[in-house]
Amino acid sequence: MKPLSAAPLSPSVKVKLLRAGFDWEEELRGLEPLELSREGGLSLEEALEVQQILTRGVEQPGGGGLTALELLQQEERSIVTFCSQLDALLGGGVPLGRTSEVCGTPGVGKTQLCLQLCVDVQIPECFGGLGGHAVFVDTEGSLVVQRVVDLAQAAVHHCSLQDHDPEQQEAMKTFTMETILEHLHLMRCHDYVELLAQVHLLPDFLVRHSKVRLLVIDSLAFPFRRHFEDLSVRTRLLNGLAQQLLQIASQHSVAVVWTNQMTTQLVPVLGETPGHRAARGLLVPALGETWGHWATQRLLLHWEGPHRLASVFKSPNNMESSVSYSITQQGFRDASSSLSESKQPSSSLSESKQPSSSLSESKQPSSSLSESKQPSSSLSESKRPRMQEGQ
Amino acid sequence: MVVLREGMCPGLDEDVVRDLLEDLVASDTEELAQKCSVSYKALLAIRRVLLAQHTAFPVSGLDLYEELVSSTAILSTSIPSLDKLLDSGLYTGEITELSGAPGTGKSQVCFATATHTAHRLKQSVIYIDTTGGLSATRLLQMLQVQTDETGEQTEALQRIRVFRVFDIFSLLDCLHGLRCGGLQQASLGGGSVKAVILDSVSAIISPTLGGKQNEGMSLMMQVAGTLKTIAKDFNVAVLVTNHMTRGPGGEPQAGLGLSWSHVPRTRLLLERSDGAGPLLGSKRTATLVKSSRRPCHIKAEFDFNRGSRPEEGLLGGVRVRDGSDP
Repeated sequence: MKPLSAAPLSPSVKVKLLRAGFDWEEELRGLEPLELSREGGLSLEEALEVQQILTRGVEQPGGGGLTALELLQQEERSIVTFCSQLDALLGGGVPLGRTSEVCGTPGVGKTQLCLQLCVDVQIPECFGGLGGHAVFVDTEGSLVVQRVVDLAQAAVHHCSLQDHDPEQQEAMKTFTMETILEHLHLMRCHDYVELLAQVHLLPDFLVRHSKVRLLVIDSLAFPFRRHFEDLSVRTRLLNGLAQQLLQIASQHSVAVVWTNQMTTQLVPVLGETPGHRAARGLLVPALGETWGHWATQRLLLHWEGPHRLASVFKSPNNMESSVSYSITQQGFRDASSSLSESKQPSSSLSESKQPSSSLSESKQPSSSLSESKQPSSSLSESKRPRMQEGQ
Repeated sequence: MVVLREGMCPGLDEDVVRDLLEDLVASDTEELAQKCSVSYKALLAIRRVLLAQHTAFPVSGLDLYEELVSSTAILSTSIPSLDKLLDSGLYTGEITELSGAPGTGKSQVCFATATHTAHRLKQSVIYIDTTGGLSATRLLQMLQVQTDETGEQTEALQRIRVFRVFDIFSLLDCLHGLRCGGLQQASLGGGSVKAVILDSVSAIISPTLGGKQNEGMSLMMQVAGTLKTIAKDFNVAVLVTNHMTRGPGGEPQAGLGLSWSHVPRTRLLLERSDGAGPLLGSKRTATLVKSSRRPCHIKAEFDFNRGSRPEEGLLGGVRVRDGSDP
C-alpha cells in the first residue's frame, strides 16, 4: 500500500483527495474518472490527470537497480582535455555520465577549457576519442567562433599526424574543421529564465541528437548572480536546475560541465581584540557553500605566480592534487613543451616560490622542470579549494 | 482516517459500510445506532475489533532486550577511529547521518562501509545514489586493497545494488518498492540486506524546500518515515549523508533544518583538518553531534588517501585493517 501523500500530484489535488478520505494510491486505482471526480471533489480534468499519473507510476516502476558490477562495466569513458597531466589527474579526462564544475577567476581559462572539450569530444573513435557532438550553452556571450576554429584546426592537425591505418585515414575525411563546427550546437541564454527553460527542453533535444556526449554551460553562475532579492528562491531554483543536470548526465550518458565564478568571502580572523573586527578575504567559488555538493567533481583553475594551475578539490575517485597547464594558440595544453612533458609526466608541479626559478623556467622549460621538481612534493601541494586573495 | 471497507473485519458487510460514517470510533455509539439502523450490539463489536486492529501492540522491555541481543548487528565502517566514535559501528535498526562540506569524505565513508559489508561480512547492501557520485571504479579500488582475488571482488560488487534516483518522487517510489519486497528480493543473491545507504538525502530534498512552498516539508517527513520503517522492520542499518550549512554565528551545522535533525539517531559532522603534514588534505575530523550512546561533541580524526595500491601502506583506500572482523 502506497500512501497518497507521497504521490507526485499537485498539492491542491492531494489535499482534496485526502480530505475526501483517500489515503492510499490503491484505493484510487479501481475507480472510474467520473466516480473519482465525484467522490474526491475534483474536476473531471483533474481526475483524469490523477489517474494518468498513477498508472504511469505503475507501468514504469523504479526498476530493480543495478549491481555495482554492472555499473563498473558502464563506467570508464571520458573526454580528454589535451593536457596530459590534467587527464591523469582526472583519471583519463572528463567522465561521461557525471557532472563537473570548473571554477576560476576571470581570464584564467575556464571558457578555453570548455571549448577545448567541445572539440575533443568529437575526435573519432579510431583515434581513441568518442566521436560525439557537443552542446554549448552560453550565458555570458563568451563564445568566440574564431577561437573554436583555431582549436578545431589544431585538433585536426594533431590527428592527421597520426593516421596510420586506412580506418583512421577514412575517419579523417569526416573530421575537419567544418564538421567540428557543424557538430557544436550553440544555445545562447540571456538570463536565468531562459537558462532554466533551455535545460528543461534539453532532454528532448538530446533524444533527437543522440550523439551528443558533452553539455557545457558557461557560465552557470552569471545569470544567478543578479536579479535575485529572495535568496531562498534562488537556492531552490539552483537546486532544481542541478537536479535536472544530474539527471541529464546520468540518463543520456553525457558529460555535463559547468563553469562557476569566484567570489570573496570574509573570514573573521581569530584572536583579535574585541571591537576591532579584522577579516581576511578568501576567494571561494560563487553560489554558496551548499552549491558545492552538486558537481561530482570540481576543478579550480587559478594563478600561482606566472603559472596557471588546475586543482581537483572534490572527486569521488581521484586524488586531490594540482597540475599546471597553459593556454596556447592551439588551445588548452600541458604547461611546458610536449617533449619534456613526455619524459617527466609527474614533475609538473610548479613550485614557483622563488621568482628566480620561475624566470629560468620560462627561458628553458625543459631543463628547469626536470631539475627543480620532486614528485613527492606534489603531494604536499594538494590544493585547498580556497586560496588567499591579494597577495 | 481509514476508509471502511467490507470484509475488513467480521460483521462489517456491505450494507453496514454504506451506512456508517468514517468516524465510527469517535462518535457516540448509541446515537449512531439510531441513525444507521444497525444494532447497538453489532456496532459495539465492530468498534472493539477495529480498535484492536489499529492499536499498537505492547511489548515488554525484556522482550525488546532479547530481540536486541539476538538480532541487532553492528556494521563496521572499516575506519577504526570512526567505529570508536560510533560505539563500534553502524547499528541495524537505526539511521546514522554523516554531514559535512563538499569534499570532506562523506561519500568515501559510504563507499568504505559498502565494500566492507559486501566483502568482509558477505551481506548485501542497497546504495541509493542521488548525486551521481557513486563511482564503481572507486569501489573496485577499495576492494583491490582488501583482496587480490578477482572472484571475490566480483562477488562483493554483485552484493552492492545501486539505485539511481534524481527526484523525490522516484526516491519515495524506490523506498516503497524496497519496503514491499524489494529488500527480500535483493537478498536472494547472497547474504541478506544489512545496510541501506542514501547518498545524499539533502540533494534530493533541498530542491523542494525554500521559497514559499511547504509541500517539501511533508515529503521530507515521508522520506524520514519510510526510512525509519525500513530500518526497524527489516533490521538494517541506514546510513544517510547530508550537506552542511552555517549557523548564525558561522559555526557548521547539518543541513535540512530542525525537523530533519530529529530523524537520524546518530549524527556525525565531518570536517577537513587543517593540519600540516605530508598528506595535507587527506586528514578529516569527525565530530559526534548527536548520539544516544556516547557523549556528544567528542572528536576523532581519520585519514584517507585516495591511493589505489596496497603497497601504499595504510593509505589503501580508507584504512582497512581493524581487529573486528567477523
